[in-house]
Amino acid sequence: MIRVLAIAALLLGVVPAAALASEGGGGLINLDRSIVIQGINFLLLLLILGKLLYKPLLAKMEERTQAIRKSLEEAQAARAEAQREREEHAAKLQAAYAEAQAIRATALKEAAEEQRRLVEGARAEAGRLVESARNEMAQEVTRARQALRQEVVDLAISAAERLIRKSLRDEDHRRIVQDAIGRVDKVN
Amino acid sequence: MRSHERTARRYAKALWDVAREAGATEAIGRELEQVAAVCAGDAAAHDVLTRPWIKPADRRGVAMAIAQKVGAGKLVQDFLGLVAERGRADHLPEIVGAYRALVDAELGRARAQVRSAVALTDGEKRELSGKLEHALGKRIILEEQVDATLLGGFIAQVGSLIFDGSLDGQLARMRQRLARG
Repeated sequence: MIRVLAIAALLLGVVPAAALASEGGGGLINLDRSIVIQGINFLLLLLILGKLLYKPLLAKMEERTQAIRKSLEEAQAARAEAQREREEHAAKLQAAYAEAQAIRATALKEAAEEQRRLVEGARAEAGRLVESARNEMAQEVTRARQALRQEVVDLAISAAERLIRKSLRDEDHRRIVQDAIGRVDKVN
Repeated sequence: MRSHERTARRYAKALWDVAREAGATEAIGRELEQVAAVCAGDAAAHDVLTRPWIKPADRRGVAMAIAQKVGAGKLVQDFLGLVAERGRADHLPEIVGAYRALVDAELGRARAQVRSAVALTDGEKRELSGKLEHALGKRIILEEQVDATLLGGFIAQVGSLIFDGSLDGQLARMRQRLARG
């Protein structure tokens, strides 16, 4: 690069000077030793400038370029990372949604099962209660019948006792005793 | 009550053993019954014989005096004295019963407690005794008791055997049959 710049500067300095000199002297630039010195000065200046200014500038430019490239790469990487995370989040969200759906479906199924079980239990309990009430009612009826029968029997027997006690005479007592004595044989 | 009866049986058995050696179980039994009846009928005598704070020797003396007064022999006097001394005078009715059972068993006889609505005639008693003897294979002694609460007929009990020949029993059986339907 430096070489290209030197050649260009040389051409810029030498070519016009040579042109003017060839046109017949007496111009701004004379083709003599001064031109050589000027050329050398110019080259030295060019060298110094190239060393002190151009190289750091190029280095700085290169550094900036590298920094920008790096920033771009980092931005790209960040974008890619963000994209990956977004996709990951979307996938997680999708999975969570699917899981929630599954939980909901399971819960609904369990609720339906529980409801069915409760209804069946309630139905069975109702059946048992009805059966129990029916049995209890039947027992009550039986008890009431028995109590009524017992009461009627008690009344009848009491009436019979009163009648017998009133109507028994001595000969009746004797006959009853004789009957009873007659039955003693059957003790064994 | 069970221990009461056990104690009474022990005393009765002891007396019966001695009476049997003497060959007078029935006579001793009669004397014992008389003495027991007097003790039971005389509240003052009963109190003296059963009060624990009266000295045993005094109780014995009183008991022997009662037995002597009733005309009981030496054996019954001593027995009653022993019973009173030991503080068992309140066991006398049970002792009499247990002694009677021992004598009955010894003589192969049984006692029939008969409750009847009206008093049985002698003929009825004989007939009933005969029937029971035939049924049980033992000589029967009837102990009759008129029970006015009975409607008619009688109830005889020999040991654990009960024969119910009363109208009450028939009515009770009829009541059960009718109640069962």
